[in-house]
Amino acid sequence: MSDLTIGVEHVRATILGVFSEVYTGQTGASAPEMTDATVLLDTGLDSLGFAILVTRLEEELGYDPFSLSSEAYYPQTFGEFVAFYRENAPR
Amino acid sequence: MILRAHIAGIEDDRELIRSPAGRVTRDAIAALPPLPAAAGARIALCVADPAAALTALAVLDGTAEHVVLLSPGAAPDLAARLAADSRCDAILCDDPDRFDGRTAAPAFDSLSALADGLAPGKSSPETTRWVMTTSGTTGVPKLVSHTLASLSRSARTDPARGRDQRWGLLYDYTRFAGLQVLLQSVLSGAMLIAPAFDAPLEDKLAMFAAQGCTHLSGTPTLWRRILMTPGHERLALKQVTLGGEIADDRILAAVAAAYPGARVAHIFASTEAGVGFSVADGRAGFPETYLSAPPSGVELCVRNGRLHVRNLQVSPAYLGSGAAFAGDDGWVDTGDAVERRDGRVHFLGRANGVINVGGDKVHPEEVERVLLSHPAVAAARVYAKANPISGALVAAEIVPSGQGTVDAGALRDAVRAHAVSHLDRHKVPVLIRIVAGFAVNPAGKLMRTEP
Repeated sequence: MSDLTIGVEHVRATILGVFSEVYTGQTGASAPEMTDATVLLDTGLDSLGFAILVTRLEEELGYDPFSLSSEAYYPQTFGEFVAFYRENAPR
Repeated sequence: MILRAHIAGIEDDRELIRSPAGRVTRDAIAALPPLPAAAGARIALCVADPAAALTALAVLDGTAEHVVLLSPGAAPDLAARLAADSRCDAILCDDPDRFDGRTAAPAFDSLSALADGLAPGKSSPETTRWVMTTSGTTGVPKLVSHTLASLSRSARTDPARGRDQRWGLLYDYTRFAGLQVLLQSVLSGAMLIAPAFDAPLEDKLAMFAAQGCTHLSGTPTLWRRILMTPGHERLALKQVTLGGEIADDRILAAVAAAYPGARVAHIFASTEAGVGFSVADGRAGFPETYLSAPPSGVELCVRNGRLHVRNLQVSPAYLGSGAAFAGDDGWVDTGDAVERRDGRVHFLGRANGVINVGGDKVHPEEVERVLLSHPAVAAARVYAKANPISGALVAAEIVPSGQGTVDAGALRDAVRAHAVSHLDRHKVPVLIRIVAGFAVNPAGKLMRTEP
């Protein structure tokens, strides 16, 4: 396994863990199963929930891709969300 | 201005509002029978369907003493209390049983039942007051009195403009932002597309797309959410408006890219100063040239890092008290901290430290008080943490009380649980850092900037 693959899996696992924690904290329910095709806003997490998720991920991963990315981009699915974090990870 | 007369003055019959429950046209409003029994009466309106509400408002404006707009989502006890606080004679609502036994004022589910139930004999006022509730999410909301004229001061009311416009309503019409959209649309003779206010965003956007919505207004936080919602690309918008929060370059660029055929404008509004202007060049802040060549009759200047405005057409005063708040020279401090950079004037946030979380205001002092009420917290400092989704979130630093080493994780968890049980969701600090002390400014005041 290359370092890059480990990095990719680490980002995805971290996002899943923090998502689950924020989801339960905000809704009181346990997080739904996430696939790449899951539409983020269909999960029941609202704008405030996503704002909290992004800040908590900045704590865990050390960066916020929305602020680092030069393009204005708002991911719709969980797969796009994870890819956005991977693509904008500081080298 | 009287609502019904203004609508009747639209030159041709047209549909003014379309909701899942019904449609209202100019002719339908013009043909409504007057309601003399409601003359001078104080009416609370608690109706979910904006089309039904528009009909009721067209009958009551100019006749009733005041109309209190209660959110259809309000709990029955709260709605009943607000109706009592505003000394209402009657409640017009979808479901009178909801108020059964909760109010002294009788509740009715139609204008004709209301007419039968009111004791006539009063005279109509010169101007009907439109009473709105503040959007406070804790405690009992405050009642704020407006008039149709004051609410529509910044609206374009020339019906020739609205003929081909279809506005979308994304907000509760009983709230300030939603009522502004409703009035702007109706007064300009446009059609308002009003989905059920509690429908999921995806369904609202689908209704807008199906009905040919051309004009849509929302906070930057809501626009980010729209762009994250599948189906948003089906909208064929000609006008996108962002207001209620600071619009940054990123969201302006993203909206412009999603809707290449739309004019994208972000609005600055100071309710107190009774002024507003829009910026449509696609960039955050506004051009410095506005300071010398002001837009739409509003003069602007920067003093001590704050935006000041002067509107020579309106003499500003607080509602009710009549107390003027402009200085002798007419300039009003908006309370918005600004910075001049690269030929633009950029908004930095509220000078008093109020944090705008996706359009909801948070006073840092309130959060600090709650944190300090935990026995393990000796000192607390609350600040705005910039966020790409909601503009800002609440963050805090705390100094632990007691001596010796602290289990940082356990302390954070305890303080967070304490905050969750005492504060609305958007006021709970997303980050709690444990520190040894805080920076204070030379005057000894707490500095509330992001570290």
